[in-house]
Amino acid sequence: MIDEIWQELAKAKYLQWEHASSKRSWELKSLKEACETALKEKHFLDDSHPGSFSDEAIISHMKQLEVLSRVFKEAGEADIPGEVPDYLCCKITLDILRDPVITPSGVTYERTVILEHLQKVGKFDPVTREPLDHSQLVPNLAIKEAVQAYLDGHGWAYNTN
Amino acid sequence: MVSGSALSAAAKQAEQLRKDGNIYFKKDRFGAAIDAYTEAITLCPNVPVYWTNRALCHRRRNEWLKVEEDCRRAIQLDYSSVKAHYMLGLALLQKQELDEGVKELQKALDLGRGANPKGYMVDEIWQELAKAKYMLWEHASSKRSWELQSLKEACETALREKHFLDDSQPEGFLDEAGISHMKQLEVLRQVFRKAGEADIPCEVPDYLCCKITLDIFCDPVITPSGVTYERAVILDHLQKVGKFDPITREQLDQSQLVPNLAIKEAVQAYLDKHGWAYKLD
Repeated sequence: MIDEIWQELAKAKYLQWEHASSKRSWELKSLKEACETALKEKHFLDDSHPGSFSDEAIISHMKQLEVLSRVFKEAGEADIPGEVPDYLCCKITLDILRDPVITPSGVTYERTVILEHLQKVGKFDPVTREPLDHSQLVPNLAIKEAVQAYLDGHGWAYNTN
Repeated sequence: MVSGSALSAAAKQAEQLRKDGNIYFKKDRFGAAIDAYTEAITLCPNVPVYWTNRALCHRRRNEWLKVEEDCRRAIQLDYSSVKAHYMLGLALLQKQELDEGVKELQKALDLGRGANPKGYMVDEIWQELAKAKYMLWEHASSKRSWELQSLKEACETALREKHFLDDSQPEGFLDEAGISHMKQLEVLRQVFRKAGEADIPCEVPDYLCCKITLDIFCDPVITPSGVTYERAVILDHLQKVGKFDPITREQLDQSQLVPNLAIKEAVQAYLDKHGWAYKLD
C-alpha cells in the first residue's frame, strides 16, 4: 500500500516538475536569443566605422557570447535530466535511495533490496563481503535528507524508470 | 671503493648527527640543527629523513626555497614521505603556485590518512589544505563574479537600447512590448543570480554538518540510532561526557561508530562546487 502511494506521489511530483520546467526552459531560451541578438546588433552598431573592426573588439564580442552561453547553461542546469550523484544511489540497484540503510562496513543500500539480498543470497555485505545480519542495518538519516534536498532541486529525478 | 665497515661507521655517525640535530631543533637552535643534518647528509646522502628534518628547520626560518629543494630531494628518495609532500606543498603556496601546492598537500593528506587517520599531522595537513583550497576558490570566484557582472550590464544595456530603438512609444503608454521588456530584465536578473549562486557563501545544508558542532563534516561517523557526528567530536563526548548518543541518549560505545562513507562523498562534492565552505572559523 505504502509503495503504491509513493509511486503515485513520485509520478505527481514529476509532472509538477515537467510543467514548471518547460515554462522555465522556454523563458530561458527566448531571453538567451534576445540577448544574443541585442549584443550582436550593438556590436555591429558600435563598431561600424571604417577601420575599427579591430581584432580586439571581435574577440571581446566572441568572448561575450561564449560567457553568455555558459551563463544560460548554468541557469538551466538543474532542469536538465542527468546522472544522480553516486552517493545518493543504492550500491546494488544504482537507483536513487528512498529508505537508505548503512551497514557496519559503512556502505549504504536501499532497505528492501539489502533485506532481500540477506534473505535470498546470503548473510553478508554485498560490496565488502563481511558478515551481515539485518539487525545491524542502521537508517542513514543524513543521506535520506540529502536525497530529499536533491529531489527538491531536480524534479526530473522523481522519474523512476 | 669504500669498505663495508667504513660504510656502517659512516651510517652510525650520521645517525648520531641526526640525534644531535633533533636536540638542537627541540631547543629552537635551528642553525645548529641545520649544520648537524647537513653533516649527516654529507655522510649518507640517501636517507630521506635527514632531508626532511633539515627542511623542517628551513621552514621554521621561513627559508622556503630551501624547504622546496630539500623536500624535492626527499621525495626522490622516498615518494611516500608525508612530511616531504606536506612541506613542499607549503613552500609552493608561498611562491603563489596554488594549484601545485594544493596537489602536494592533497598527496600528503592521502598518504597520512592511509598511514594513521587519527595522527596529529593529518589534522594539521587538512587545515593547511582547506586554507589553500579556500584561496584557490576566492581567486577563481572573484574572476567569475567580475565576468558575470560585466556581461549582465552589457546585456541590460543592449536590451534597453534595442527596446528603445524597436519600440519608441509616446510616454506613459505601457503596451505589450513594454511589459515584455520589463519581464525580460527581471528574468535576466534571475538568470545571472542563478549562474553566480554557487559562489555566494550561504548556510551549508544541515545534513552535511555535525549535529554537535554544526560545522561541515571532515570525518563523519554514524551511530546505531542513525545520527551522524564528526568522529573526533563524538569520541571526545564519549570519553568526557558519557557513553551515550548525545541526541537520542541511547547507549553508545565507540566500537559502534560506523564511517558514513556516502555523506563523506556528499561533503566532498559540496566543497568542489562551493569552495567558500573550505573556510573553517
